Amino acid sequence: MITSLGYLASLVLALLLQIVELPEWLAIARPAWPLLVIGYWALYAPNAPVIASAWLLGICCDVLLNTPLGQHALGLVVVAFLIRRLSGIYTLFPLWQAALALIPVWTLYVFLMFWIDGLARHAADSTLRWMPIVSTTLVWPLCAGMLDSFRASRARSRNRMRLP
Amino acid sequence: MNTSLSDSTSNSLFLRGPALGVKLTLLVSLSILLMMGENRGNPQLQTARQWLSWALTPITWAAASPAEVVGGVDHLRSRESLLNDNRELRERLLKQDARLLRLESLEAENIRIRELLASSSSLEDRVLIAEILATSQDPYRHQIVLNKGGRDGVYRGQALVDADGIMGQIVQVNPGSSVALLITDPDHGIPVEINRTGLQTIALGRGDGHGLSLPYLPGNADVKVGDLLVTSGLGGRFPAGYPVGTVHELKHAGGESFMEAIAYPKAKLSQGRQALLVWSERALPSSGTDDEPIAVPIDLPVKPESRSPATPAAAPAPVPAAASTPTSAPAATTTTTPPVPPVPPSAAATPPAAPPAGKTAAPPALAPKPGTP
Repeated sequence: MITSLGYLASLVLALLLQIVELPEWLAIARPAWPLLVIGYWALYAPNAPVIASAWLLGICCDVLLNTPLGQHALGLVVVAFLIRRLSGIYTLFPLWQAALALIPVWTLYVFLMFWIDGLARHAADSTLRWMPIVSTTLVWPLCAGMLDSFRASRARSRNRMRLP
Repeated sequence: MNTSLSDSTSNSLFLRGPALGVKLTLLVSLSILLMMGENRGNPQLQTARQWLSWALTPITWAAASPAEVVGGVDHLRSRESLLNDNRELRERLLKQDARLLRLESLEAENIRIRELLASSSSLEDRVLIAEILATSQDPYRHQIVLNKGGRDGVYRGQALVDADGIMGQIVQVNPGSSVALLITDPDHGIPVEINRTGLQTIALGRGDGHGLSLPYLPGNADVKVGDLLVTSGLGGRFPAGYPVGTVHELKHAGGESFMEAIAYPKAKLSQGRQALLVWSERALPSSGTDDEPIAVPIDLPVKPESRSPATPAAAPAPVPAAASTPTSAPAATTTTTPPVPPVPPSAAATPPAAPPAGKTAAPPALAPKPGTP
């Protein structure tokens, strides 16, 4: 119960971080927070309803960023599916290696966004588009570590309640 | 407790495969359907989006709060800087008041001349001040959210200006808020004319955050760096005559028949918290020139033909007409308190020809001249 509250809270927090105002030069390199959080839960929480929540989170992103309804949803669902599918491989890696191994997934996501923008005839600067891949990779260890410690503290408190 | 997220994977490992794939295909196709539906302009999706954005307002507010806290530091400023500001603003106000005085007479003159041309358009537009709630945090979309929506009569396609020029137009109207597309967005184009020469063209957003591009200029067009671009009013979406930007750079590749100009917008797109929504009278009727219900209220102040430039609201025709036109002054002095006490000889020379209120009366802009000696 508490864990699922934490799950929801992390999703909402990701949404917040995605739309919080940043200076222009920083906004270009904003990590894709929903991607990070969905990726983390898909990787380390096998029973979480990640695919459905990825879609809902994506729809929320679409509304908040005013992109075509379904654009972010599609990207997040595909990423959640891929990571969930490959979680057996990814969980074998230590944290920093997983960060490197996830780069192709982030690239796929950014490419999907780029591609849909192209279909919707929304031209954009094509070189800076790829910046979020770098920032997302750099932030991944931090994000994963924090969510890990959150889950570990939850588990500890649960065990403590159980012990006496 | 077993249903919690961090349980072991062992028993669900084999059940998950196909279910995952089914979920994926379902949701992916749903997303694609949504995108296609919205591309076609499905009205139900439009309302769904409005409801969702209403439901997500708390998140928008929460995301805007850090910026507000940073802005709150602004309150703690030294007395000196406030005094400086105050003095500066006072000076600006004085200057602008002086300009406004001139503008009023020019406006009156303009109305009269337009009347002579039998044109129905006027300079007066209805405006509404809107607060900027949020700016789009996707760096590739230049959009802002305003706190005025359908309830305030905002409509899709409405023009948005600030003190310096055109900012953009409304693209989505929610009940209590609206989303505006800025002129620098790559999806945005605006019909402009070059103020110096009257050359008409289109300015497209470049998408780099602070530039406009004029790609359709003929190679021999008379454009110079520093030229002012104003809205041409073609297309009826933007009111005519508002400044859009200044030309910053000209690119003319050899052998090409077109040249491109780069302009920077006049409006301060990334600064400030307020914007003005403009109701341009030509945008309200979808088409057609003789739309009576719209045209009448706007033309009303124009109707008293030779009204005084200083009192635009003066309704009854005879008295203000007499007070303002110097040619009719000799006749007026007999009936009303003398508005122009000394009847100058220059005005007295013409009286027999001019009836009190006629189209051929001397322009009001000239009114001060005979009165001053």
